[in-house]
Amino acid sequence: MPLSVDARWDLIDKISKQTVEFGARKHTLKDAIAELTVKPLTGIPVAIAVIYGFWSFFCDFAGTLFTDGFMVRLFDEHWLPWLQSVFPGGLKNPFYALMVDAGHIEGGVLVASDNCFEAFGVLTSGFFVVFGVVLWAVLAFYLMFAILEDAGYLPRLAVLVDTVLHKIGLHGYAIVPTFLSLGCNVPGVTATRPLETRKQRFMMMTLLAIFVPCGAQIGIMQDLVPEMMGWIFLTLAIGYLGFGFILNKIVPGKSPELIMDVPPYQMPTLRNIVRKLWIRTSRFLIVAVPFVLLGSIIVGLMYLTGAMDWLAAVLGPLLMGWFGVPSETVAPLIAGFLRKDLAVGILGGLMEQGIMTTFQVFTSVILLCIYFPCLATFALMLKEENGKEILGSLASLVAMVFVYGGLIHLVGIMLGVA
Amino acid sequence: MKILLMGHPNVGKSVFFNRLTGAKVLESNYPGTTVDFMKGWMRLEGEDVELIDVPGAFSLEPKDRAEEVAVKMLAENKDSVIVCVLDASKIERGLYLALEIIEKGYPAVVALNMWDVAEDKNIRIDVEKLERILGVPVVPTTAISGEGFKELVSKIKEAAPVKIEKIIESAGGRESAAVS
Amino acid sequence: MKEGEEKFGQIYFAVLGVVALAFGVAELIASAGEGFTWGILDSSGASDPMFLPWKAIILLAAGLFYLSSVNNFAEVHQLAKAVMASIMIWIVAGMAIWARIASSIPGEETWFNNLEGFLASYAPPYCPEMFLLLFSLVIVYYILKEE
Repeated sequence: MPLSVDARWDLIDKISKQTVEFGARKHTLKDAIAELTVKPLTGIPVAIAVIYGFWSFFCDFAGTLFTDGFMVRLFDEHWLPWLQSVFPGGLKNPFYALMVDAGHIEGGVLVASDNCFEAFGVLTSGFFVVFGVVLWAVLAFYLMFAILEDAGYLPRLAVLVDTVLHKIGLHGYAIVPTFLSLGCNVPGVTATRPLETRKQRFMMMTLLAIFVPCGAQIGIMQDLVPEMMGWIFLTLAIGYLGFGFILNKIVPGKSPELIMDVPPYQMPTLRNIVRKLWIRTSRFLIVAVPFVLLGSIIVGLMYLTGAMDWLAAVLGPLLMGWFGVPSETVAPLIAGFLRKDLAVGILGGLMEQGIMTTFQVFTSVILLCIYFPCLATFALMLKEENGKEILGSLASLVAMVFVYGGLIHLVGIMLGVA
Repeated sequence: MKILLMGHPNVGKSVFFNRLTGAKVLESNYPGTTVDFMKGWMRLEGEDVELIDVPGAFSLEPKDRAEEVAVKMLAENKDSVIVCVLDASKIERGLYLALEIIEKGYPAVVALNMWDVAEDKNIRIDVEKLERILGVPVVPTTAISGEGFKELVSKIKEAAPVKIEKIIESAGGRESAAVS
Repeated sequence: MKEGEEKFGQIYFAVLGVVALAFGVAELIASAGEGFTWGILDSSGASDPMFLPWKAIILLAAGLFYLSSVNNFAEVHQLAKAVMASIMIWIVAGMAIWARIASSIPGEETWFNNLEGFLASYAPPYCPEMFLLLFSLVIVYYILKEE
């Protein structure tokens, strides 16, 4: 039996008298600050400041302090000369070339390398990439990430970018796997699990694998081409958003919102941070070290057997014609199947030999990011996706590399720099 | 099952809707009217559930086109769960609509939205007590910051029809209601 | 918050807001050109030119936050804006200090820096946000007062 209007108001009056109280609690400063970080007008400048802090810390911790401050000296002035003096064999010995120093041609003569980027040896370049550069980058990244995560900023960042990401069929939550992938794509791909539908997961994994460079790669790029980082990130971000938009249109399925818990801000505890840092960094080393060493061996063997030259000759016209990069980039591209950081390291070796223009370096770096996920990420995707989706990922990958790589080349031609 | 999102105009219902649904949202026109409403999907325990953002209405006794559409939509979707979005800082007005919906026998969840604004105005609502009296789940939310949504979604399945007499009883009986 | 404290806060943070804005504009101009050093104030961005425009944007935003907090300063939401502006300055300045720390530890020719080189890393000129940092610390008093 429905109530009359008056009876209903009477009832409401009774209910509210029992449940509503005035003047019991005031907003605290913490509530007010929490509000500022999610409202777009104030939240966006705050997000810029936070990301600025993140990135500055990353560069100075990994680059200035560890890599440039100590590791370059350790590896170039002590480790490399020591190995060159004690390792059996010599410059023309294949095993020596594989493990220590392949040397390079200077004025028609094979000479020894004087830094670990150029040496191309498993024990030199391989070790330098992992322990000299990448380890510190990953450590710095995960430290900052854990702090933001534990303080409660990440879910708020997700809420803030939700509206923008809706436009490309993703959600605010996408910022979490994306951010995590900037450390390492492997946990990034794992973090797509909370996404609700296969479409969302497929899109997210594909975008991550293609457009998000990992911390290892970023660390070594920052070491080699610091002045280009802004353009590199811009190019990748445009690709991420653009292809996200296209994928959303062509991939069938729904993309419902992921509803996140937004906890209050709190002080991170040292114990928790240290624990997370330890778990993530050690997992990274377990994944990275074997692949980097394996990668150095494979690339070294391909150089020694002449397979690399053959591939360079075969693929050279395609690389030069379509992407505008020299055929020598075949070597880093091969290494990139295993590890992106190693690949960029090899590219660094090529740069030091002075065979590439600035724009070619830029294009190669972008190509290395997007052409294939590293082996560990790919293996995880194989596990996470079904057969059809893997084919879809691969197809979109090939399409994106050719379209986007060609586009960058085209822009370069139009700007007159390619 | 469908979920209808109902509430007064300007209670942050559209932000609310965006927080719950995915990116693929259909804006449609209710047949024969100029009233627009939004439709989307949300994920509820592994299932896709349609979510409809019903045009804002003050009551179910229609006074304008939007309210007419709201009433029609409610009548057309007998098997749906209603999420009543209330402005927590003006809870009495919102409760009127919520009670009307409950009276019609729909399972409902009450979202006390703009919870931050209410807190700011020094309004404190005893959520547990309100839940006990109404017999339906009540969840404080802040659509703009996304707080409370996880809880809200987890409570949707607890929504069940409640007899109005029962509410009157738990609020203290009909007579005393008349007296006060 | 007492009335006198509110009054002081209003004037103080209005001035600081204007200064932050001015520094922001200066850094924005600096980022477009060569940058400049003026006495002990350094806005050349010599170490990281890439960061300069972003720093400028953050200082500008912090300045605006301060200025918009001035009206009805004692109210918690208004105060929060000033707190947020200070936190943003702390992030930028903290990173500038961290950059100095990071480059002060390793030496030029040796593993570790000698004392002289170590101290020289901390000598002036300083970038604008370090000055702002100093003056923004006043907000701590108001934060403690609020809690």
